[in-house]
Amino acid sequence: MASGGVAGSDAKGDCLVRAESAGTPGLTITTKAQELVEDGIRAVVEPMLAHFGTPDLAVSVEDFGSLDYVLAARTEMALRGALAIDALSLAASFTRKASEFDRPRRSRLYAPGNNPHLLAGIEVHGSDCVLLDLEDSVPLSEKTSARILVKHLLGAVDFPQEVWVRINGLDACGEDDVREVLYGRPNGVCLPKTESASDVTRLSALLNDVETALGMEPGFTKIMPIIETAKGVLHCEEIALADPRIVMIAFGAEDYTRDVGAIRSRPSLLFARSMIVAAAAAAGIQASDTVFADLGDDEGLAKETALARELGFDGKGAINPRQLAPIHRAFSPTEDEVAYAQRVVEAAQEAERAGSGAVSLEGKMIDKPVLERAKRLIKYAQQLNPRGNVA
Amino acid sequence: MKNAIGREIPERIGSRDVSLYQAAFATLRCDRKAARYQKGAPQHEDKVLHSIEAAIEATGLSDGMTISFHHCFRDGDFVINQVLDACAKKGLKDLRLFPTALFPAHAGVIDHIKAGVVSRIEGSMNGPVGAFVSQGGQLSEPAILRSHGGRWRAVEAGDVEIDVAFIAAPQADAYGNATGIHGKTPCGPIAFSAVDAQYAKHTVVITSDLAPYPVYPMEIQQGWVDYVVVVDEIGDPQNIASGTLVLTKSPTRLLIARMTADAVVHSGYFKDGFSFQGGAGGISLAATKYLGDEMEKAGIVGSFGMGGGTKMLVELLQRGLIRTILDGQAFDLDAVESLRVDPAHIAIDPGMYANYDSRGCATYQLDAAFLGATEVDLDFNVNVNTHSDGQLLHGIGGHQDVAAGAAMTMITIPALRGRIPVIVDAVTTVTTPGEVIDVIVTERGLAVNPAREDLKDRFLAAGLPVRELADIKAEVDAMIQPIRRPVFGDEVIAAIEWRDGSIIDVVRKVEGFE
Repeated sequence: MASGGVAGSDAKGDCLVRAESAGTPGLTITTKAQELVEDGIRAVVEPMLAHFGTPDLAVSVEDFGSLDYVLAARTEMALRGALAIDALSLAASFTRKASEFDRPRRSRLYAPGNNPHLLAGIEVHGSDCVLLDLEDSVPLSEKTSARILVKHLLGAVDFPQEVWVRINGLDACGEDDVREVLYGRPNGVCLPKTESASDVTRLSALLNDVETALGMEPGFTKIMPIIETAKGVLHCEEIALADPRIVMIAFGAEDYTRDVGAIRSRPSLLFARSMIVAAAAAAGIQASDTVFADLGDDEGLAKETALARELGFDGKGAINPRQLAPIHRAFSPTEDEVAYAQRVVEAAQEAERAGSGAVSLEGKMIDKPVLERAKRLIKYAQQLNPRGNVA
Repeated sequence: MKNAIGREIPERIGSRDVSLYQAAFATLRCDRKAARYQKGAPQHEDKVLHSIEAAIEATGLSDGMTISFHHCFRDGDFVINQVLDACAKKGLKDLRLFPTALFPAHAGVIDHIKAGVVSRIEGSMNGPVGAFVSQGGQLSEPAILRSHGGRWRAVEAGDVEIDVAFIAAPQADAYGNATGIHGKTPCGPIAFSAVDAQYAKHTVVITSDLAPYPVYPMEIQQGWVDYVVVVDEIGDPQNIASGTLVLTKSPTRLLIARMTADAVVHSGYFKDGFSFQGGAGGISLAATKYLGDEMEKAGIVGSFGMGGGTKMLVELLQRGLIRTILDGQAFDLDAVESLRVDPAHIAIDPGMYANYDSRGCATYQLDAAFLGATEVDLDFNVNVNTHSDGQLLHGIGGHQDVAAGAAMTMITIPALRGRIPVIVDAVTTVTTPGEVIDVIVTERGLAVNPAREDLKDRFLAAGLPVRELADIKAEVDAMIQPIRRPVFGDEVIAAIEWRDGSIIDVVRKVEGFE
């Protein structure tokens, strides 16, 4: 048996939990405003100690303003280290519904999966999707604690938007990620560096297994493949069609430029972007553009987002909430677009009443894809409130 | 006795009788008062002294007397410490300290309380002195806290009779005219002390920059001043910005600021001639910036912005987005510079700002205000004085004055600070009653006082995330186990005056926790 486990940090919003077989058994808590919050911390940690059956451990909690789910995650991590045992099963405090296949996904807001301070309140910024990251933003040494934290976060927060988890590749520790985080019922899983249809089918099979094991409805968990290598770009047609769980494919420019030896620019990304948009459109799913990494460059973000919209993307990644407003503006239907879409739909209805097979508007023929696109645009517009948030 | 908002108030607080808070504008006085100290002077008089000790002797300051100060150097003030040290050296006891506010720089006051030099405090206490007083048994009478306007009223009404007013003046002439905006170490307006100077028995101007007659603008006038003391240093202006005034990078706080600005835009008040006041906290500063951008976009020019002058406010004036700044005190050096060079940046005194017993307050001309809080409750009552553990750590500032005056008062707060919830069932201390609070803005949405259905309708029509305060509270409470609440004993350590001199709440000593 291992002699001790330690989890967390002394960063704001985090806590440091130690569980050791040496020392006086029991729970000690230190925190700011000790009198006010000590009992609350005890009420989170003690039931977990009981669950794991840890009479002999000396457990200490140093709190730096952690929320209950952070405390629970750090405690679980420390106990697993000390006792060398498996996950604590976790029941979410509410029921997250499976997300719709087609809904506005203008933004996916990234948050690093092992930073409680940055995760706290990530759901309040009005992004269409939140993306909890276990991959690039989490160092190798923190992979386990991050997936435990994300699991507890998913179980505790009733997200007003879709919540996704970017797992690690299945050849890295992606399978462990899936087995852990599905306890928290995320709406979907993002698969980084997807390079083939079989990458997706492998993930889908794993999701089937875990969903069944956890008693979830099969197919609950959606998939978002991220295309960020040359192979991925060349195979994105088969990837987009690989599995009915896929609702969107996303582009990752940082890794892609590294992979092909390009310098990031409009022309160097154009081929990949266009391939992805075309693959998504052919498969009847959505496409999301890469993140814009320069947080201070508002103008650059606006330009790149306008370009993505022009190319046919449905949304874009965001690394900070301040990027959301320009992204939402660019990907929301404009009044003119909605008005035109309404005229298209009315023209189609009129043609149907008249028993005419061909629809025309203002002298132009309206074919089926145009009509479908118009209907979808109206549906999106109806889902947005006057402030441009998904109502 | 319970006051109108259900707070238990003792019949007497120390040696004073208590009038209970009834409502924000319960009674308006209409009578003559003559609290001002009359004193003539010969034709030629040399007012200059070369030490604070000399001033103490000249004024006849003795045991049990009341001494007053302004806080315009904020955490950079040296004068309060200098005067109290001199008083201690002279063996004075039982002084009543009547500052506009104390800051962490004044932690030395604690030793003077322990030594019996100071036995009473009437004024705001930010930080260590407040924490010390919270322990109870330290002062001979409970501390009295007043708003900026409330303090001015109390002096004019004779509620507090000042024996010696000590006034730190960045520049003064030998005859007593003094200003805060010029000199070696300018700190911004010092007109907080104008009422002290007019009503005190003796007034001492303390300056580090004695300049030729006449020094102007005459925030403090020669006719009110007995002595001018010249010292090496009176304060460090770099520290007037301490603790606040950092433009936040926190996405949560920026979101609150964004929502605040959006709410103002859709409030119905946002049109040409619009006026507002924001505080100096990170959220307020960001909201001021966002609001300026919205004004520019809409082509709206405001009539005035009120402060605490800050760089943010000065920028709005320079961009032509507001016609004037009405400025009671400087919160940074950009505001001080602007006061010197821009005639549209106008220094005002707290009497004009917010004196309840006057025929008009600048705060009553405000359309919108955004203010902070340590706690708010489901009745929209606001606490800015104590923390959830019952410790007295902050003053009132202009909170009551602005909230009572502005057509729309918004409280901008994160719903959670660490594990401490900010929205509670009942605030630990009521500083400002829910009656004068219109909107509470949190990162999880904004809640509108039920008395303001009109605002609620406007916000909803604009798609703003309007929610019930109780729902926001429940959402946050689900993320943290409940905190323990302090149990209060009988001992009153401080009383919170409403603007009219009635008692809105008292702070009692913490005896333990539930």
